Amino acid sequence: MSTPKPQTEQSTERRTFIKWFAIGWAAFAAIVGGYATLILRYLFPNVLFEPKQSFRAGATNEYALGEVSERFKDKHGVWIVRDQEKIYALATVCTHLGCTPNWFPNENKFKCPCHGSGFYTTGVNFEGPAPRPLERYKIALNDDGEIIIDKTKKFQQEKGEWSDPDSFLLV
Amino acid sequence: MENFKEIINFIAAPQIMFTALLAVFFFIFPPTDWLYSINRKLGLHKLWTKGGGIFLLVVTLGFFIFGLTDENFRLIVTKADNVPIVGLLFLVIFLLWLCLFQAENNDKRIAEGKGPMEAEDAKEKVLVWPDLVYIELIALVIVSALTLIWAISLPAPLEGPANPTVSPNPSKAPWYFLGLQEMLVYFDPWIAGVLFPTVIIIGFMAIPFIDNNPKGSGYYTFKERKMAISIFLFLWLLLWLFLIMTGTFLRGPNWNFFGPFEYWDIHKVEVLTNINLSELVYMIWQNKALPDNIFIREMYGFAALGIYFGLLPLILAKTVFRKVYDSLGPFRYSVFIVLLLLAVSLPIKMFLRWGFNIKYIVAIPEFFLNI
Amino acid sequence: MLEKFKQTQFYRAIFRTGGAPIATHKQRILVTLNNVFLHLHPVRIPKHAVKIKYTWCMGGLSFFVFLVLTVTGILLMFYYRPTIEYAYGDVIDMKEQVPLGLMREIHRWNAHLMVITVWLHMFRVFMTGSYKPPREFNWMVGVVLLILTMLLSFTGYLLPWDQLAIWAITVGSNMAGATPMVGAAGPGSSLLAIGDVNFVHSASDARFVMLGGRFVGEGALLRFYVLHCIALPFVIMIFMIVHFWRIRKDGGISGPT
Repeated sequence: MSTPKPQTEQSTERRTFIKWFAIGWAAFAAIVGGYATLILRYLFPNVLFEPKQSFRAGATNEYALGEVSERFKDKHGVWIVRDQEKIYALATVCTHLGCTPNWFPNENKFKCPCHGSGFYTTGVNFEGPAPRPLERYKIALNDDGEIIIDKTKKFQQEKGEWSDPDSFLLV
Repeated sequence: MENFKEIINFIAAPQIMFTALLAVFFFIFPPTDWLYSINRKLGLHKLWTKGGGIFLLVVTLGFFIFGLTDENFRLIVTKADNVPIVGLLFLVIFLLWLCLFQAENNDKRIAEGKGPMEAEDAKEKVLVWPDLVYIELIALVIVSALTLIWAISLPAPLEGPANPTVSPNPSKAPWYFLGLQEMLVYFDPWIAGVLFPTVIIIGFMAIPFIDNNPKGSGYYTFKERKMAISIFLFLWLLLWLFLIMTGTFLRGPNWNFFGPFEYWDIHKVEVLTNINLSELVYMIWQNKALPDNIFIREMYGFAALGIYFGLLPLILAKTVFRKVYDSLGPFRYSVFIVLLLLAVSLPIKMFLRWGFNIKYIVAIPEFFLNI
Repeated sequence: MLEKFKQTQFYRAIFRTGGAPIATHKQRILVTLNNVFLHLHPVRIPKHAVKIKYTWCMGGLSFFVFLVLTVTGILLMFYYRPTIEYAYGDVIDMKEQVPLGLMREIHRWNAHLMVITVWLHMFRVFMTGSYKPPREFNWMVGVVLLILTMLLSFTGYLLPWDQLAIWAITVGSNMAGATPMVGAAGPGSSLLAIGDVNFVHSASDARFVMLGGRFVGEGALLRFYVLHCIALPFVIMIFMIVHFWRIRKDGGISGPT
């Protein structure tokens, strides 16, 4: 401070300072970012110990015409419905907030206990707050003629996916 | 007696109860000078006198005791998890009376040029030990005793073991979130469950920066901060507590409405067939099919939103909220008005639902975007 | 007897004020100043600050109820295992197999009480305009404490692992799934995709972070347990420290100037 340094030397000093300053902050940001990524990624495990997602549902003739079968509701969360021409598997998960609706055979509808959403047997919503129809699962026959329902593949009506041949079984 | 219960059941329906409360609310808690003078003329401020307090106590307690003679009412208010809410209801009514009683008193004193009661008290200083410490100790002992009695007399609820495939009917969130769950009847989850909570938090934090009225800091008053108190009580009493009470006591199986004296019948049928704004405009008014293009289909909804959040704040700034705008400036006013309009959108949506069965203003299920 | 005890070296070692009878003004001041817990308080306060009709006592009670919850919560942890297999049975045993099995009752009702007292504290603070300068920041800290209180209560709701618990949490967590952009069922999430590959799906969204699974199961129970017993109490205590410190720095309880 006492002896003023020559102009050039001072500006080099400032330049080095700014350089180290920038490197310091960049390193700090990188470390913070790295830790944040680490923590975020840590929250998503690679393996999930959740039940198997596909199951066998018996032969087609076990389902009567116009029936909503609750056979696999408790175990797998699926209703199997047979109408005039096809069989399809409806997810028992309300599209509003994930409660399990109840099937009321007398009123011929699914009704969700949480917020009162109602669905037809097709799964299409007609009352209450549910924003869209129930989802359908992939349904197919295996070589033995048994119905296989695969819950990893979903079909949503509002995206026009119910016309996909995997989403129903012609009978 | 049965007729009286029928009447109560009828007017307890949110459509009627909410409308009635909304109609009288701003006369009881007037936000402006004009409403304040009407409040005085009608004598509504007498609620906040000793006589008014006794009146409130007799009415609420009387209704409650009368209600307990009814089996359905008893069943719902004595449910273990509902007991704290009954307590909360009585506490809030009492404390509301207590603060407005003091506010009326202070307003009178200020008008006479004497300054609020608290200022009189504050002239005198007391020592923390023993004056405050002993009060704290007494409060702690009373509350500990109370919770112990509460714990002995009321077992904590425990239902059957968790079963992911059977939803109990009705399924309710913890009681302090039932206001949000009740909003879910009118709004999609992303609004009622995410947007509104976020806005409530931000809005609460913004209060000290929006309310720039320097008066009324550190003492009870109503007259000096009419608008602030009126808006706050509107949000806290009508849009939060009222919805919690409705959600707790009056929502039964399938989230249907049940009056306080009504039996919770699982098979009660309530017609809930709702339509979207686009369907109303195209299919019912114009008798056409819905257009394929999403933006054309939903343009009326977007236009309504644009007017509500874009144009309305400008109009309000020039008319009703002129003074507010002048004192807050453009930035703070924008924050204030957007928060207020978001809050008011809840009753608006409720009335649209009740009056016209409107489900969504903008409905784009393709992208899960429903408003 | 007591007076004699107060004269011992042992007593005077603990209480800095010593054993002399507290009679003078100065000694009363020293009681507050010489005690780490009492010195959260100022020494002298205006008289309106000791009137229940002004303060409603709700802030202090919230803190006290929090302490009760901490103690009972620790005791409950002795008998509770956060797995689907044991949780429900452990909760039943807490009542059936532990003498005077009231701990869960005390914990649960105090939890409800804390939500109520925090709300009412906020109500009082608003009605007395106590968020006005210089207390704006402390009001904001208070809002954070309010949120943390409700989160604590919400995470605790799942732990008994009964029907009430999982459905309340299912509904609550599905709301997180509806968060715009980062929730699988939220608006805009389907825009974050390249071709058929969705980046935001039920195993990679906001709800998954909360539950540690695609539905309320083993992972969710453990995550909520850890949040409820360690993470959130830790965070809320930090904010409480700031809250109490700012009360003092902002000039104690609000009052007319």
